[in-house]
Amino acid sequence: MSTQVELKEGTSLPAVIKNIRQDNINLYAKASGDFNPIHIDADYARKTPLGGTVAHGMLILACVSQMMTNAFGRDWLSEGKLNVRFRAPARPGDVITVSGSIRHIEKGDGHQMVDCDVLCSNQNDEPVITGDAKVKVGDNENRS
Amino acid sequence: MPEQSKTEYQDLKAGQKFPPAAFQIDATTVSDYLKAVEEDNAIYQNTGLVPPMAVAALALKSLIGAISMPPGTIHVSQEFEFIDTVNTQDTLTSHASVNRIQERGKLHLISVDINVSNQEQKPVLSGKTSFILPVP
Repeated sequence: MSTQVELKEGTSLPAVIKNIRQDNINLYAKASGDFNPIHIDADYARKTPLGGTVAHGMLILACVSQMMTNAFGRDWLSEGKLNVRFRAPARPGDVITVSGSIRHIEKGDGHQMVDCDVLCSNQNDEPVITGDAKVKVGDNENRS
Repeated sequence: MPEQSKTEYQDLKAGQKFPPAAFQIDATTVSDYLKAVEEDNAIYQNTGLVPPMAVAALALKSLIGAISMPPGTIHVSQEFEFIDTVNTQDTLTSHASVNRIQERGKLHLISVDINVSNQEQKPVLSGKTSFILPVP
């Protein structure tokens, strides 16, 4: 699969929407080996300043990578860069919208470096993750 | 992945290197990961390709296994560069070192560099992860 978006500054990336559920958080803990109780132990988490369990930041960041894979295909897997800040926790019951847009394209020799803004926000439009993603795309990529 | 002895985070020093951690990502692990993150992109179906964030997660697992972090630790920022694709059954080795330690009032900011290479010693992923921890 190759690039699925129009390579033009301002182009929106196909959004990804995720309902955060405790069972996904538990599955992610198992898959990643991160069993920090703040993610999986409701009794423990309730007594912390967070007041309840929160999703792993890396679980939400995986959704950003999913959006980039949907947009840029295999190029993302071998030529992608992410630089993000975790702004707020995502909790079970939250609906996270992952969005992005192409901010800048730099043409190189046989490739283009595509620089994107990325954002994960919750149902209250609060930012959960902000940052940027870059991907090097070959000039001969298919474009829709 | 073998059990590692943990370093108390107060004992970390800038430049400190952690022992390399080797790991494999088999098809079952990829399947569990895809289910957890609800990723259904066809690029991962019967291709043997491993999602780069699964590689990143398991590299971080090595790091979490190496540092004893207190309750209240917050993952504040993350950088990754995906350098090459990873396939199931590749044997990966994660190298981590402390990039920076800063004390800010009652908090410590710790940044750790991570580099992952495959069985041919080719780099596949690099990154920098930053945590804020409460000062004891």
